[in-house]
Formats: sequence, structure tokens, C-alpha cells
Amino acid sequence: MSSNRWLATGNYFTSYKEEQRIFTTSLDRSVMGVFLCVLFSWPLFFSIGNKYMLVVDNILVAVIAVIGLNLVTGFAGLISIGHAAFVGIGAYTVASFCRVLGDSHPLITHGWPPMIVAAGCMGALFGAVVGLPALRLKHLYLAIATLSFQMIFQWTINFMDFFDQGQTISVGRVFWVTGEVARNEHYLFWYYVILTVIVILGFGVRNLLRTRYGRCLVAVRDNDRAADAMGMHPGLVKVYAFGLAGFCAGVAGALHAYLYRGVGIDSFTLYHSINYLAMAIVGGLGTLQGAFWGPLAIRVLDLQVERLSEWAGSHVTAATNLTTALRPLSFGLVIVLFLMFEPRGIANWWRIFKSYVKLWPFRY
Amino acid sequence: MSYFFQLVVSGIVVGSIYALSALGFVLIYKSSRVLNIAHGQIIAAGAFITYALTVWMGIPIYLSFAMSMVITFFLAMSVERIFLRRLIGEPIISVIMVTIGLMSILDGLIYLTPFGTENFSFPPYLPTTPITVGGVSISWTQLVGVIITFTMIAGFSWFFKKSTIGISMRAVSDDQMASMAIGISVPKVFGLAWAMAGLSAAAAGGIIGNITGLNFDTLHAFGIVVFPVVILGGLDSIQGAVVGGIIMGLIQQFASGYLDGNWGLNGTGEVMPYIILLVILLFKPHGLFGIHEIERV
Repeated sequence: MSSNRWLATGNYFTSYKEEQRIFTTSLDRSVMGVFLCVLFSWPLFFSIGNKYMLVVDNILVAVIAVIGLNLVTGFAGLISIGHAAFVGIGAYTVASFCRVLGDSHPLITHGWPPMIVAAGCMGALFGAVVGLPALRLKHLYLAIATLSFQMIFQWTINFMDFFDQGQTISVGRVFWVTGEVARNEHYLFWYYVILTVIVILGFGVRNLLRTRYGRCLVAVRDNDRAADAMGMHPGLVKVYAFGLAGFCAGVAGALHAYLYRGVGIDSFTLYHSINYLAMAIVGGLGTLQGAFWGPLAIRVLDLQVERLSEWAGSHVTAATNLTTALRPLSFGLVIVLFLMFEPRGIANWWRIFKSYVKLWPFRY
Repeated sequence: MSYFFQLVVSGIVVGSIYALSALGFVLIYKSSRVLNIAHGQIIAAGAFITYALTVWMGIPIYLSFAMSMVITFFLAMSVERIFLRRLIGEPIISVIMVTIGLMSILDGLIYLTPFGTENFSFPPYLPTTPITVGGVSISWTQLVGVIITFTMIAGFSWFFKKSTIGISMRAVSDDQMASMAIGISVPKVFGLAWAMAGLSAAAAGGIIGNITGLNFDTLHAFGIVVFPVVILGGLDSIQGAVVGGIIMGLIQQFASGYLDGNWGLNGTGEVMPYIILLVILLFKPHGLFGIHEIERV
């Protein structure tokens, strides 16, 4: 084996501890470090308009939600068709504080970090409750349970006065150490906040998957009877997976609420649940980096579809509702095509690319 | 008291439509173990095809009803052929997700047509004065819908019990390997199951369209509301679909009849099935008539 971790050409592990390292080579570690530096510093050198910053923020919020969905669907192998509802739970946790205390109460404007964590815990609680049928049932029924949770959530928001019948509930401007975050800095500020949350969550999940609490998810996905024989409780593990997914979704929801400075039911419908699922599939189920590729790809696709239908709308007069038609069509096609031809998602392309670069100029 | 009976009657009407919608779902599940989440979109497509044939092409409604059933028969068969045939043997999770993708695709295709956003209604072809017996009234469209529903369900039950193809479909659902060994073509059975589901979906779509009018949101919501119905009845039982459908219809009508307007509640009929679904999943997951083959983990 190569003792120099800079020059390693393959995986020459001699112990389990080595295999479980986050970065197998020093090169990996430095690439990651440079990548993070770039992510944190590029807004200092380029200034882009609020419109595009919002798109970037949007992608990052979706990344957090998809990390959660990937935990439950990718690693634990349970389909969740109600992920947008869990995101909504997080957002409406913030919104209900706004309804009770008023939207610029210090707890909301100054205490936003604990608020985000509280929203995450709320999401985890609901996730675990919806996952309870997992104590008795297998994946197929769980998909139905999450779907019905999505329906119940939408009904609750749509028909309760407390949530303003699903209309937008506004959330106040937050304060940072330098004072109130101004309008023109709003998206930049939340870019940094969301990025920090992603880094924390990303490393958290990566580390979780090295411990037995994360590996039990994969064990239960691969063969729950074998997992049972090895002393895990598959039902509880599934409930726990739903709880973890709910936590990530709740955090994403709270960030969504703060980012848009408002919460409305329109962002948490069944359509969005399918959207998250599409992101997870396109990115690559069961891979952590898939949670980053998926939202990026789907949001870019979304923007292109919007531009395409705008362009087509200017040429064809009859095409009035082209965007509403092309969006679901493109998502559906992307889901189906990826499942049929590249079930391992974009993460697999990245893996192929990496091994190509590593072995170049040889084929294998 | 007549209010109560009125609710019972409309509950049975709604319930039998649920039963017919659930029928197609159960057919697919029974033979190929696939949860078809796109079923509501197929129902909607059936209804829209019936409308297009009747109004735009001027074909008599009964004929176009039959024609749309034939069209969706082949439509669903080709869906199976194009998308699901290559996934035989893949994990069930990816098959379910393909049907989710399919739902999205069909959504998009329907939004491309005028049916996606506008409301239509069938031209009246039955007497419009409802039949009233002892203060309880039922409209002609509802009556005809219920009759068609029960005829179709009886037909399908007979088909599964007695006909050779029906028995081979049950055999495939029981054990694919064994049925292949005795000479049943499994892919053909899957295709046929989808085709028949499409046929029954078109029938359901036509009936719903006649009763509630053609609105895409209402129609594809039926594809989701079949979940509580089939879970209550048992996922793989046709009788279960009927009983579950009618119980769900009654529950829904009673909920919206007695709960709405009290204690600030509204639209409880929409949410009640899902609450009951979650409760059933916790306590009696194989439903009323399902086979007790759920593996506990």
C-alpha cells in the first residue's frame, strides 16, 4: 500500500478504521477544503442580482430538504411522498410563532437560530409519528402513510383560521450582530446562513453514516430480517429514519420561511413532494452528494423550462398555460428516464468521472 | 331523519364511484404488486376522452363511453409496455417511483389540453328531474352510475373467479416463478392487468364526469382517495374495494353532513378518509378482506 496519502491510486485499506475515514486521500480533503472556501468567498468577488441570489438560496434550501429525503428514501429505503409536508411543518412552526407573537417579536427576529432548531425538532416529531406504522409494516404501506400525511397537512392548513387558510403569513426581518439585515443584503445573508447549515448537516450526516446509528439504516434497507437477526429493531430504525428526515425537512422549512419572509401553503403541496423526490432520484439515491446534484439539476431544468415556455408563448398564441404543462411533464420525464437508464443518478456520473481522472491515461 | 337517509344515499353513490376507481388500482396491484399512483390521471384521461368524443366529434354518449374504454385499454397497455416492462425484477421502490413519474407526465400532458385548466360538463342526456322517494332524492346520472359500477364490478369478480385469463392473473400474483413454469406469460398478464385497469378507469372517469362535471383537480383527486379505500378493503381484494369504497363514501358524506359548520370545521369530508387510513394502517393494516401476508419486521 501507499504510505503517502497524496499519491494513493486506489483503496488499500488495512483496517476498518481506515475504511471509515471521511476523506480517503489527502487530495480529497484539500479539494473539499478549496471547494468550501470557494463557496463561502465567491459572493465577495462577484455580485449578482437578488433574483439570481434567490435562485441560489432556493437550491440550497432544497439541498437541505433532499439530504433528509435521501436519508429516509435512499439510505433507509422507505419512499416518502409527503416530504413537502414535513418541510411545511418546519415553516409553519415559525409561522405559528409569528401568528401568536406578531411577526417582529424579538424571539423571531433575534432568536432565529434556536427557532430553526425548534422547527427541525418539530419536523422530527411529526416525522416519527408518521413513521409509526413502520413498527408493523413494510415500505409499500409507508408510502401510503406519508401520502395521507401530505393530504392531512394540506387540509389542516387550508381550513384552519389559525394558519390564515393557507394564505401567506409574513415573517419579520431578522437581526444580525450588526443590526437589522437590510433588504439588499437579505439574500446574501441567508446564503451564508443556509450554507453554514448545509456544511453542519452535511458533515453531521456523513459522520452519522460512519457510526452504527447510520449504518443500521443501510442494514435495514438491504435486508431487514438479517438486520433483525443482528440485534437491530427494524421498526424502530425506520421510525428513527423518518425522524431524521423530518428534522432536516423542518430545518429547511424554517429557512424557507425566513428566506421568503412569509409562509404559504403553495410551497408545500403534493407537487413539491414529488419535486423533492425527483431531486433525490436524479441526484442519486443512497449517496450523500446526490443531495447536492439533484436540487441543482432540477432547479436548472425548471428555469430552462420556464424560459422555454416563455419563448414558446411569445411565438404561439394559444399556449397560455404552457409553464404549468411543461413543468410536471419535464419532472415526470426526468424521474422516469433516470429510473430506467441511470437509477444511480448523477452521483454515479461523478463517480465514473472521478475514476477516469484517477486512472488516466489507463482505462482501468 | 330524511337528511340521514339522504346522506346514506349520496354516500352509497359516492362510495360506488370510489369502488369503481379502486377497482382498477386493485387489478394492477393484484397481478403485478405495483402501487399505481398515476391511477387518478388515467381516470381523468378516460373522462376527457369520453367528453371529446361526445361533444367535439358528435358521437352518441353511450358509444363514446364504450370507445373511451377501448382507447384507455390500449393506452394503459402501452404505458405498461413502454415504462413498466423494463422494470420487471427491479426493486419495488423504483417501480412505485416510476408510477409517480408517470403521474407527473400525465399531469403535464393533460395540462397541454384545454381540459387541464377549464371546466366542462357533459350535455344532459338523461332526465334532469331527480327521482324522489320519501324525501330522499337521487339524480338519474347517479342512479345510472351506480348501476354501471355494480355491473362492472360483478363482471370483474366473475372474470377473476372463473375465466382462464383471470385465474392465470391470480396465479401470477401468487407466484411468478411457478406460473411461468406452467406456461403463463407473465409480461402478457401484466399488460392485460394494466389494460383492464385502464378500461375500468375510463368507466369511472365517465361516471364521475357525468355526476360532478369535468374538472381536472376533482378527477385526479380520485386517484389519491382510492388509497384509503383499498387500504380499508384490503389491497388485493375486489370485494374489499367495493365494501371499502362504500364505507368510505358513507364516512365522507356523514363527516361533511354532520361535522362541517360545527366547531369551526370545514371540508372534513376531504380529510376524513386519510385520517381513517392512518388509523387502519396502525391497527389493521391488511384491511377487511386483504390476505394476511404482511411480513412483520
